[in-house]
Amino acid sequence: MQNINLHNYQDFLLRYIDEELDLRETEALLAFVAVHPAVGEELELLQSTKLDIETISCPSKALLYKNIFPVTLEPTTIVYPNKQKLFKKEKEKAPIVFLKWWAVGAAAVFIFIVARYGMFSGEAGNSLSKNNVAKNNSIKPVTSPVNNPINNISIPNDTIAKTGSLASTNVKENQQNIADNNLNQVVFENLAHPSIPTASTVTASETARAIPSYNGSIIDVKPTVIAEISVPSMPSNDETTETIETIDTESASSNRSVMVGAFEIDKDKFRGLFRKANAIFKNKENNKNEK
Amino acid sequence: MTEKDYNESVLLYADNVYRFIVKNLRHTEDAEDIVQSAFEKLWIHKDSVEPQKAKSYLFTVAYHLLIDHTRKAKRITLQESFENDTQTAYQENKALKKVLHDALATLNETQRSLVLLKDYEGYSYEEIGEITKLTTDQVRVYLHRARLKLRNYLISPQQVL
Repeated sequence: MQNINLHNYQDFLLRYIDEELDLRETEALLAFVAVHPAVGEELELLQSTKLDIETISCPSKALLYKNIFPVTLEPTTIVYPNKQKLFKKEKEKAPIVFLKWWAVGAAAVFIFIVARYGMFSGEAGNSLSKNNVAKNNSIKPVTSPVNNPINNISIPNDTIAKTGSLASTNVKENQQNIADNNLNQVVFENLAHPSIPTASTVTASETARAIPSYNGSIIDVKPTVIAEISVPSMPSNDETTETIETIDTESASSNRSVMVGAFEIDKDKFRGLFRKANAIFKNKENNKNEK
Repeated sequence: MTEKDYNESVLLYADNVYRFIVKNLRHTEDAEDIVQSAFEKLWIHKDSVEPQKAKSYLFTVAYHLLIDHTRKAKRITLQESFENDTQTAYQENKALKKVLHDALATLNETQRSLVLLKDYEGYSYEEIGEITKLTTDQVRVYLHRARLKLRNYLISPQQVL
């Protein structure tokens, strides 16, 4: 314990006022005060600075309490009178047909095969039409070289047959000219028989039609079957050819086919496939119902 | 802390907190607001406050609310000086006590709070340090300075005459 002297007594006095001295320090201070009366006067003065405890009530104390009066509602049963009017009729759900894995697999394989077949048949048709072009050329060979009126280039028909539809666009133009030449040849033959003035000549030629673009170059070629009916109107040599109906098989074939991914499939084949699948499911349902 | 503990804290400490605040502010309505705020905070954090430390928690919260309020009041002192003083001043009944409380008003916020916590609530230096976020030595030094200042006020010539 630190000794109390005239240099440090004030600290002891203040701690005494604050009741922070232990018993030994308190006894030592009181003994020091007894020896020094001036220190005793100062102690009294410092004690007068201590606040007396006074009772002050908080006016809003009652507001601070929480849930003194428990507020709980007892459960009561109340029935709504128009409850029946609130119900709605439930719609009957469609029966769910559960497919077995082997049936789904078989259907997928079937669709794949049909898709493949459809693709190959389409290619076969294209190749067939190309062959027909070559056949037409071979059936009615034109030994004389074809004279191209646009370019004035003479190309023999043998060359056309060899190059086919994938040849240059000039060759396809020549094919068109060949078809025109064939048609003219038939008309001339009819004119050579004036004894049958009312006979009409029907020619069907399958050829490649070239679609010229705005700058004159040919951009696309597809095999097209064009049927033309020629009626000689006058017995004289001036024959006018009237086209009654033109059947364009290209547009028809494009309407019949649909693209499934990378495959082009005929719509009729699709319909047949769905009919078969529908028949299979119907038979299954009938068998289940019979059981 | 349960709801029952909270209500018991209201019963035991509401007056003490109010006295501490009203002696500092000398304004009853502001003191009530601070007390309500302190108890509201205790209610919000009642799950994390132990019942034994409820009093210390309340005084800590109230002290910091008091500091905030005093700082805010200092900023608007100029505006209020032009208005009618509607504050309800705490009425001192006795002349001697009035002198002492006038002397208390001469202390700064910290010193006044330390004196009130010491004399009214009987907190030790350490407890006051926890409430006011001061060290024990700081509390002791500030409190001794406050005592000497009060003493000097009491023995000043104005008060003697």
